[in-house]
Amino acid sequence: MSKEETKVKGPNGTSRRDFLRKAGSYTAASLSGTAMLLSDPKPAKATANVSWAEHFQKNYRLMTDEEKKEAVTRLEHRYSEEFGKKVEVDDAPAMDGVLFGYALNIQKCIGCRRCVKACVAENNQSRGENQQIEWIRVLRMEKGKFSAEDRDRQGYPEDYGVQVGGNAYKPAGVVLEGQHYYEPDLVPEKDAFYLPMQCMQCEKPPCVKVCPVRTTYRDPDGIVVIDYNWCIGCRMCIGACPYWARRFNWGEPDLPAQEMNPDTHYLGNRPRMKGVVEKCTFCVQRTRKGRWTACVEVCPVGARKMGNLLDPESDVRKVLASKKVFRLRADLNTYPKFFYFME
Amino acid sequence: MTIYHLFGPVISLCLLAAASVASAAGDTVRKDEKTCFESRKGLSQVRKHEIEPGVMNVKCSPITGGVLFWGDPFDGTIPMGDMPVEADYSHEEAVVKPREPQIDRNKLLTICAMACHNGEYVPYPENKLARPLRMHKDIVPDSMQLKHGKGAIWCLDCHHAVTRTKLIDHYGNEVSFNQSQKLCGKCHGQVYRSWRNGIHGKRIGMWRKGGKKRWWTCTECHNPHDVEQGGRNSGFAQLNPEPAPMLPKGMSNADHERGHGEEHGR
Amino acid sequence: MKRFIQFVIDFLRSGFTGGVLFWAWMLFLSFFIMLWGYGEFVQIRDGMIVTGLNDQVSWGFYLANFVFMVGVAAAAVTVVFPAYVYKHRELHRIVVLGEMLAIAAVIMCLLFVTAHMGRPDRLWHIFPVIGIFNWPHAMLTWDVLVLTGYLLLNIVGGFYFLYKKYSDAELNKAFYLSVVYIAIVWALSIHTVTAFLINTMPARPMWFHSMMPIKFITTAFAAGPSLIIIVFLLVRRFTPLKIADEAFHVLSQIVVWCLGIALFLTLSEIVTELYPSTEHSLGLQYLMFGHHGLNSLVPFFWTAMVLMIGGFILLLIPKVRKNLMALPFICIAVFIGIYIEKGVGLMLPGVTPTPIGEFAEYTPSSIEFMVVGGIWAIGFFILTVLIKGASGVLLSEVRYTEKASPSIRGEQTRPATI
Repeated sequence: MSKEETKVKGPNGTSRRDFLRKAGSYTAASLSGTAMLLSDPKPAKATANVSWAEHFQKNYRLMTDEEKKEAVTRLEHRYSEEFGKKVEVDDAPAMDGVLFGYALNIQKCIGCRRCVKACVAENNQSRGENQQIEWIRVLRMEKGKFSAEDRDRQGYPEDYGVQVGGNAYKPAGVVLEGQHYYEPDLVPEKDAFYLPMQCMQCEKPPCVKVCPVRTTYRDPDGIVVIDYNWCIGCRMCIGACPYWARRFNWGEPDLPAQEMNPDTHYLGNRPRMKGVVEKCTFCVQRTRKGRWTACVEVCPVGARKMGNLLDPESDVRKVLASKKVFRLRADLNTYPKFFYFME
Repeated sequence: MTIYHLFGPVISLCLLAAASVASAAGDTVRKDEKTCFESRKGLSQVRKHEIEPGVMNVKCSPITGGVLFWGDPFDGTIPMGDMPVEADYSHEEAVVKPREPQIDRNKLLTICAMACHNGEYVPYPENKLARPLRMHKDIVPDSMQLKHGKGAIWCLDCHHAVTRTKLIDHYGNEVSFNQSQKLCGKCHGQVYRSWRNGIHGKRIGMWRKGGKKRWWTCTECHNPHDVEQGGRNSGFAQLNPEPAPMLPKGMSNADHERGHGEEHGR
Repeated sequence: MKRFIQFVIDFLRSGFTGGVLFWAWMLFLSFFIMLWGYGEFVQIRDGMIVTGLNDQVSWGFYLANFVFMVGVAAAAVTVVFPAYVYKHRELHRIVVLGEMLAIAAVIMCLLFVTAHMGRPDRLWHIFPVIGIFNWPHAMLTWDVLVLTGYLLLNIVGGFYFLYKKYSDAELNKAFYLSVVYIAIVWALSIHTVTAFLINTMPARPMWFHSMMPIKFITTAFAAGPSLIIIVFLLVRRFTPLKIADEAFHVLSQIVVWCLGIALFLTLSEIVTELYPSTEHSLGLQYLMFGHHGLNSLVPFFWTAMVLMIGGFILLLIPKVRKNLMALPFICIAVFIGIYIEKGVGLMLPGVTPTPIGEFAEYTPSSIEFMVVGGIWAIGFFILTVLIKGASGVLLSEVRYTEKASPSIRGEQTRPATI
C-alpha cells in the first residue's frame, strides 16, 4: 500500500520509469556517460552538456503538453548522466480542487533548524564552501530584559533630568529584530522564541508582479513557481519579496551527486543553474503527489501543518477554524497562505 | 511454587545481565552513525537501512543525528489499532511506530515484568500514593520528584501496577505503550482533541484526505516523566540545533546581531 | 541614402580625429574598456559569485550606477528645455551636445543593467514577440520601454539636426520640434520610472515613499548639468566651438536650485524617518550612523552631505557661481556628492537590512570595479566621439560636399587638439 502511494504515477497511470523505458530513451551514449560518471565521483559541471534545445525552449507555461514532455525527458537524460543515477523530472500540473496552505505553530517551534536542513536535502540546493542556499530562515526572537533599575533610568540626554520623549534607556519586552545566526548548544533557550520564515506562497505575490519575463507565476493550486530556464536573473523579485524568501544562484550550484535527490519536479527541486532565482515551492514534487513537504515531515515537534485550504477537513483549515492565527506583514495585502498560529 | 519464586528472579537477573551487555553493544552501534533519532534524542531511535537499492529508509543530519528525510515514511510502522473516538484515523490508513520496542529496547521491561513485578513476587502496592522506593532508586532516581502533574500524580496513575509492560486508563484497563494517547488523553482532553484533528502533534506521509499517514504518539515527542523540562516549562527536551546559515559574503561574524536592546533608546 | 552613409563616415572620421592628447585619452579609456571585457568575461564564466553581492545585498554597485546614470541621461533636458521652451539662444546653439551626452548615458545604463543580470545570455526572453514582455505589470518593462524610447528619441533628434546641418538643409520644424518636445517630457519619464522601479516595493521601506521620483529628478538635474558644465568647459577649451558664458550661468543656476530642492527633500526625509524612528527607518539610520559597529557607509554619507551642502552654499554666491575657473571644481564636488548619495548611498541602505531584518555589509569586488570603471570608460569613449563629431558638424567643419571625397575641411589647417 505504502509503495503504491508513494510511487510516481505518470499521466496515463504508467510510472515515469515505464514511460522512459518504453520510449527507449536510454541510449548507448547516455549509458556510457552514466558509467563514466559512476566511475568518477566528481560531480559533472552542470553546464557542460546543456543542449541548444534547452537554451531555446519556450517559457514552460506556454509549452504544449508535448513540448513539456520533451523538455522534461531532455532534462531527465541530462541529470541522469550528470548525477550518475536515474533522475525523474516530474511535470505534474496543479491539482484540481486544491489550494495549498500552511500553518506553523509558533508556540511549538524550538528553533532546531531541522526543517532548514531537511529542505536542503530534499530540494537540491547548493551546498558546500562557496554558496549555501537555504530556503527557510529561522529567526531567534529575544524576549528582552526587564529590570527595576532600567525603569527609572533617565532618557537621554541625562542632564535635562526628564526623559526625552519618554524614552527609557533599554526597551522592555520582545526585541523585534530577529537573530539569524544564533548557535547555542541546546534549543529551545529560556528567553527566546523562534520564528521560521520561508516563501509564503502569497495569493497576490509581489515577486510575480515585478518579474519582467513572467518566469515566476502562481500556479492554480496556489504555489508560486519559477521556470528556472526562463529566468534572466534580474533579481527584481528578490527586491520585491517582503519575506526575503528568494535566493539567487550566485555561482554554479554545488550539489554532490551522492547527495542529490533524484525525485524532482520541473518547477520544483530539479537541479538549478547559475544566475537564476529559486525559493520554496511547498515541495511541489511531493505535494502534487499527495505527500507532505519535507519540512512538515521532519519537524521534531510537529509545529508545521500543511494541507488543502479548500477542504474544511484539512489540517490547515482546522487550524484556521480553531486557533489564533496571524500572517506576517498582513498590511501589505500580499495574502500569504502561510499562517502562524498558537494554541 | 516456592521453587519458581526462588528461581524466577535468578533466571531473570541472568537475562538482565545479558540485556545490559546487549545495550552496551547498542551504544557502540549508535556511535557508528547507524542510528538516528526522530523527535526525542535517545528515545525515538531509528536504524538506517536500505529499503530498495540506493534508497535508505532515512537520511540523517551528520551534525545532530536527527532524521532529515524519510525514504519511506511508513517503514517499520504498524496499524494504529482501535481508537475509542472517531477521527481521521478511523477512515484512513493510520499507522504508528510501535513504542514498545523503543521503550523495551534493552528488554528490561519484559524481564522485570516477568521476573519480579508480576503481581506476585513483588507485593502489590496498597495504593497509588507516592512513597519512597525501597529498591531501584538508581533506575528511577527522580521517583519522588516526577515532573508531571506537580506531585498530583505518581507512577501507578499511568503504569499498570501488575502488568508492567502496559499503561492504564481511568478504568484500570490496560493501554499499550504504542497507544499512549489513550492514557494521556484522559487528562489532556483539549490536546487530545487537537491531536485527533491532526493539528497537535506530528503526522507524516500523505497529506490528502484518505491518504495513509503515520501518526506520532505522545511519548514520541514528550517525556512523560519530565514534561515541564525544568524552568523552561516547555514540553520538549532541549536538542542540539543544526548549524547556523552561512554568513553573508563580506561578513566575518554576526556580532552585530547579538546583545540586542542595549542601544535601542539611542 | 548615399549622402547619409557619407554623413556617418564623415561624422565618425571627425570623431576619431585628434592629436596626441586625444589619442592618449582614448588609449587611457581603452585600457579600462579592456578591464570591463575581462570583468564581464569572468562574471559570465563563473557567475555573479565573483561580485560582492549576496542574497542579503542582491542589488549593489551596478544598479547604483544605473540609477545615477539614468539621472545624467535625463539631465540632458536641462540643456534642451531652456533652449526650446525659453528660447535661450546660447543653449540653443549647443543643444545637440546635450543630446549626445544623453545617448552616451543611456548606453551606459543599458550596460549597467546587463552587468547586473544573472543570465545576460537570456536577454532575449524580455524581447516582445520572441520572448515575454510582462508589460504593463512589471515596472522593469516600463523602464526598458522609456530607456530605449529615450535613446531612440535622442538619436533621431540629435542626428536629424546634425544631418540637416551637415547637408546644409532646412530642418523640418514640425518633425524636429515634436521630437524635441516629446524628448523633454520623455526625459522626465525615464527618471520617474526608474524611481518607480524601486519605490513601488513596500518590502524596502527606505525607498517606499512618493518623494522618490521628485528627489530623483532634482538630484539628476543637479548632477547632470554639473557634468554638462564640465563637458562644455572641456569642449570650449579643446575645440574651436564657442560656448558663451551665458550658457554656463544658466546651467549653474539650474544646478543650484535643483541641488537646493534635493537637499530640502533629503532633510524632509531624514526628519520624517528619524523623528518617529520606526523599524522602517533602520536603513537610513544604518546609512547615517551605522548599526552596532557596521558603519562602512557612514563616511560616504557624510562626505556626500559635505560635498552637496558645501557646493550648494558656494553656488548660492553669484560671484562664485559665475566664476568659470571655480565652477568646474564645485561641479565635480556636487557630481561626486550626488553620485555617492544617489548611488551606493541610496541602493545599499535600501536593501539593508533585509526585509526580515538582517544586516550585511557589502563591498564591491574587484570584478565589479573593473566592470563599472569599464562602463564609465565606454561612456566617456562614446561621448568623446559623439561630441567631437557633433562639434565638427556644428562648426561646419564637417559638411556634405557633392564630391564623395573626404570632406573634413580645416583638418589640415587646424589639427584638433583633443
